[in-house]
Amino acid sequence: MVSSHRRLRTGGLYVAALLGSAAAVFPYLYMVLQSLAPWDEVERVIWPSRLTLRSYVWLFTGGETGLARPWLRALFNSFLVSGADTLAMVAFGAMVGYALSRIRFRGARWIESFLMFHMFYPAIILIIPTFLIIRYLGLYDTYLAMILPKAVSVWAIFMYTTFFRSMPEELLDAARVDGAGEWTVVTRILLPMSTTLTTVVALVLFMERWTELLWDLLAVKSYKYMTLNVLLATMKGPYGIYPGPLYAASVVLTLPVVILFLLFSRRFFSGFHYIFR
Amino acid sequence: MTARHYYEVRGWLLASPYLLYTLVFFAVPLVWALQLAGMDWNLIAPQRTWVGFGNLVEALHSPRIWAAFVNTYKFLVLFLPLVLALSVGIALLVNGLPRGGHWFTVLFFLPYLSSGVATSLVIQGLIAVNAPLNRWLVSAFGFSPPWLESPGWATVVIVVLIAWKFSGYYALVYLAALRSLPRELWEAAALDVPSAWQRFWRVTWPNLYPATFTVTVLATGLMFSVFTEPYVLTQGGPQLATHTWQLEIYYQAFANFRAGYASAVALLNAVATFAGVAVVRWLMNRWGRAHGFEP
Repeated sequence: MVSSHRRLRTGGLYVAALLGSAAAVFPYLYMVLQSLAPWDEVERVIWPSRLTLRSYVWLFTGGETGLARPWLRALFNSFLVSGADTLAMVAFGAMVGYALSRIRFRGARWIESFLMFHMFYPAIILIIPTFLIIRYLGLYDTYLAMILPKAVSVWAIFMYTTFFRSMPEELLDAARVDGAGEWTVVTRILLPMSTTLTTVVALVLFMERWTELLWDLLAVKSYKYMTLNVLLATMKGPYGIYPGPLYAASVVLTLPVVILFLLFSRRFFSGFHYIFR
Repeated sequence: MTARHYYEVRGWLLASPYLLYTLVFFAVPLVWALQLAGMDWNLIAPQRTWVGFGNLVEALHSPRIWAAFVNTYKFLVLFLPLVLALSVGIALLVNGLPRGGHWFTVLFFLPYLSSGVATSLVIQGLIAVNAPLNRWLVSAFGFSPPWLESPGWATVVIVVLIAWKFSGYYALVYLAALRSLPRELWEAAALDVPSAWQRFWRVTWPNLYPATFTVTVLATGLMFSVFTEPYVLTQGGPQLATHTWQLEIYYQAFANFRAGYASAVALLNAVATFAGVAVVRWLMNRWGRAHGFEP
């Protein structure tokens, strides 16, 4: 009696989980189906009568921006900008985090309390002056305009500071007694032990950078520098008569982060649980 | 060089990327923003007129600013209960599954990876007048809602879209909290409180308070910075129902070229955000103390 009741309850949970997750991924599914639908069926049916790659072919060979294959170029730009910024944010995060948590120098405390203030500051107030600085530096409409203002993540510094501080001093002392220099301690002990944290930090930062709209919209104006996300937002009007390619572009925009996330999902979740414990 | 000096130099050297970044992209822009807020300037012309508090006064009399101000709270009142219910629900659901919890968590988390631009396009396609959803609604109920044409429905579309995106992410916060609760708690609760519903309200929900605090503060900050969804879907309309601070700043600075005025609006937004988050934190702390949590 009890076991049949429990089985019924578990069955109900699975049904709810299936329905709920179906609602979570439905817009993705709709997006993929529309991108593969014949053009006279896009936004007319949920299940296309047949599948075709016409939207993708058109997207990567055509285009109305005066630039050949703007979408391919935009995909490359997205990878370049997001990749460069994620690398920089992680590297600077670990570097500054190490300094703040493991090196005793005057000012470290002061910098750290400033970090907390900096992290919760509404960034919008800085966007117009940042735009002006980029223009005065002669960087407007370049890759650097998109990359530089986002090259340091205060959140990443905070995460690495907390993590490095939580490591037992004895472990590092033991290595030092064995004759390991500071560089060896960092590269052989601290960094390898922080791979889970690095996965979480890098994935979150890459994702956020990949889908950034407001800043990238302001920083460049040429089609040759635009990221995929910005091109999609900009092309929505002119391409309104070609909904199929817009869905295909959405799929191309979404796929890289989804693949990246699926590859690291286990480590991401365990790291996330560690952080929000 | 003494060891002491060695550490000093190395510490400052390793921290220098952050210090340099803070100087160029935080300190200088901050001072500049304050100065700009008192000026009338179109971003290009050499002449800039000092107007003092003129921009702030104008902003405080602008219906667009008040729309942004009110909409933030309208979004907050709709978004908070929705996203809290969804994320707690997802966390409890996934946690209750004997097997496969990981893969369901992945599915629920996927919306967070989406770009606001792409999902806004998809939603726009889904609720287009001749799209399957509306044709089905018309055939089944005789009408379909004026999704993006009516202020009420447009608000609902934007809020639901953002809740769809963030509930799987916030569910992870709840899941981490659920898993860190002691096993004895559930065993005692199972004996003392017979009904599952009562058990949730009297044992689970109060014990999840720290996670609720985190999610509430994150969600509040989020509602003060909505941009992408209204930018793509409604451009702030209809009748300013989905107009936000960020949209107003973007339009004023980069479409109307009123850099000074936009800076003043950004200042107001910063003050509103600080105040809004502080009030929410204060309310949450009070509520937490009532449940025996020390802030």
